[in-house]
Amino acid sequence: MEEKKTKLLDVSKTEWIILASAIVMPFIFDFSPYIQGLLIFILLWVILGSSWNLLAGFTGQVSFGHAAFFGMGAYAAAIPMLHFKISPWWGLLTGGLAAVILGYLLGVLVFRLRGPYLALGTLASGEILRLVFGEEEWLTNGHVGILYMTTWVSKYPYYFIALALAVCALISVKLVMKSKAGFYFLSIREDEDAAEALGIDTKKYKNVSMAISTFWAGTAGAFYMIYMGFIDPEVVFALHNISIITILVGIIGGVGTIWGPAIGALIMVFVQELFRSAIFGIAPQWVSGLHALIFGVLVIIVILYLPGGVVGDWKLLLKKLKLSKSLEVSK
Amino acid sequence: MKVFKVFSLLLITVGLLISFNSCGQSETGPIEIGVLLPLTGSQANFGEMEKNSFELAKEEINKAGGINGRKLEFVYEDDSGKPDVGRAGAEKLISINKVQLLAGGYSYSVTFAAAAVAQQNRIPFLVNTGSVDKITQPEDFNLTTEDGDKFYIYRLNPPVSEYASGLEGMLSEVIKPSTVYIIHENTTFGTKGAKAFTKTCDKLGLKVLGTDSYSSGTVDFKPLLLNAKKTNPDIVYMISYVMDAALLMKQSRDLKFYPKMFIGAGAGFTMPAFKENAGKASEKVVSATLWHQTLPIPGATKYFDDYVAKFGGDGPDYHGAEAYASAYVIKDVLERCNGKYDSETIKKSLDKTDIMTAFGPVKFQSYGKKIHQNKMNTYVVQWIDVNLKLIWPRDLANAEIHYPIDWAKVWAE
Repeated sequence: MEEKKTKLLDVSKTEWIILASAIVMPFIFDFSPYIQGLLIFILLWVILGSSWNLLAGFTGQVSFGHAAFFGMGAYAAAIPMLHFKISPWWGLLTGGLAAVILGYLLGVLVFRLRGPYLALGTLASGEILRLVFGEEEWLTNGHVGILYMTTWVSKYPYYFIALALAVCALISVKLVMKSKAGFYFLSIREDEDAAEALGIDTKKYKNVSMAISTFWAGTAGAFYMIYMGFIDPEVVFALHNISIITILVGIIGGVGTIWGPAIGALIMVFVQELFRSAIFGIAPQWVSGLHALIFGVLVIIVILYLPGGVVGDWKLLLKKLKLSKSLEVSK
Repeated sequence: MKVFKVFSLLLITVGLLISFNSCGQSETGPIEIGVLLPLTGSQANFGEMEKNSFELAKEEINKAGGINGRKLEFVYEDDSGKPDVGRAGAEKLISINKVQLLAGGYSYSVTFAAAAVAQQNRIPFLVNTGSVDKITQPEDFNLTTEDGDKFYIYRLNPPVSEYASGLEGMLSEVIKPSTVYIIHENTTFGTKGAKAFTKTCDKLGLKVLGTDSYSSGTVDFKPLLLNAKKTNPDIVYMISYVMDAALLMKQSRDLKFYPKMFIGAGAGFTMPAFKENAGKASEKVVSATLWHQTLPIPGATKYFDDYVAKFGGDGPDYHGAEAYASAYVIKDVLERCNGKYDSETIKKSLDKTDIMTAFGPVKFQSYGKKIHQNKMNTYVVQWIDVNLKLIWPRDLANAEIHYPIDWAKVWAE
């Protein structure tokens, strides 16, 4: 790599280019609010995907219940508004913290478990929260949900806020993974008992990983509330629409890579919208029913042929593509 | 780091591709109206019926000369039954298709979320099914009931709290129950419906022995039904979408649960798919409904027959009629716009709506906390020999009520 590296953050030239283009893009192209909405969703999934990736991809603690933290963040922003007319914007601070507290409490319970048991434990936690928030109407308005008339009609402010949050999330993951803690995370992932034997306080570092991960999931939830202006338990604690998609974003992009969730988010939103809109209205309407199927097929292909995800197995992917190209030439 | 180069290239090309993909409303072409419906996902049954009905009405309208010589066109957006997708769909219709009027709106939460988008963009939204009371209550949009000119949401169907009003007469005059058990889906639609019915029970002096809820997609209702059976209620009132409704009835039959009457709160219980899935167990079940094809409403029977002729199957229930009527309200509203089809003119025209549709009279009124709300009667239907028959009110009915019922005999194979 010939790229120059700045010392503090180790930001490569290409990363600067992406950041700069993400900032400049809205000023060059006159995006419709619809496209802006999609871009914001990509950024939201970047935050959520990175959050999951730190805990599951780098620390090996696979969570099937990330919606719990996402929803907690969303409700931390919404509940004070509902009862005390406090602006949900405070949620950007409190949402993350509420999720961290929840994550710590859940961690006490679920970190006793490993592997598939941990996955099931987290899955159950998410589902329990969904049911509790649905039933406790006095606190959460139950299934009626909470509506908030959003601050701006224009989406550009939200775009830049989401971009800032996504950049912060990526930087935080990058910084952590460069630090001592990051190495501990990896060693816990590779072999928890060996890590313990080496003197790593695995309980503590699993909690550290959980705290950073849940903070970003909660912040993403709070942002979702502020931006969408409507939440109900079925939306923010959704098992498949949040928890599972978060995992798929991580898997497609690349588990245990910094940029994996970002690429995964891009692919996920792009595929979903491409098919949901029936290839922008060109294809017949029935195509719109296929988006879940196509995404599922994509996940299977990635798991089978690119187990490291698009980013993790980038070289392999290039090789495969080049190979097929050279075959075509030889024909 | 090729990943990032490709990544940024991708971003830019996608951006370019899509930013050229926008189009606006022309001056002479068809008048485009945005319609938000669940065309995929668990509510696709309803969405498809409503879309068919919109299309049926559109063809009739265009055949008859369109809107002052211009064709009417509906642009559909699939909300998948999810609020965030619905919101994005509404935004797309408003910003890319530049529609000046939104229609459709099936599930409560999607409609609510999309209504906020319409309200903020000052685009009128004619809701035809989303039934939770809040949708036409300006207080939930930071407005008051005085702000009619600032409130852009209109609703054709009655709110869920009024769905069961037609049942009251039948209960007090025919079935005369003294105890009730309520089973409902744990969504807003179900919860609010159960609350409204509890109030109705208080009014009629009925004792509610218990209320139980389940989440949509439950497969085993037996524990829940056994609890209900233990209390031995006179009637069981159920608020469920179509698949759950069918399972509830099938499993009641399996458990030999025989109250005096099973009553559905509309939604799933009037759908053809309910009968198909419940089979014999659908027989003699009663449901509240907002519409029936044999009602003495001009055009109701014709719509039903045309629908069956065009799309086959068992024909539409009230959901389809709502959509069909909505299309005709739109036609009427646009015709009174004097050739100016912008959102403000359309809104003013909506305010003055007063027409008869195949779904009943439509006029947007203010009462209680609501504004821009159409008021309607509700009716009672019963599945008699695999056909849905109108049994209440008596003066409009096309069949006698089957009551009392020997369920063991009715449900025998």
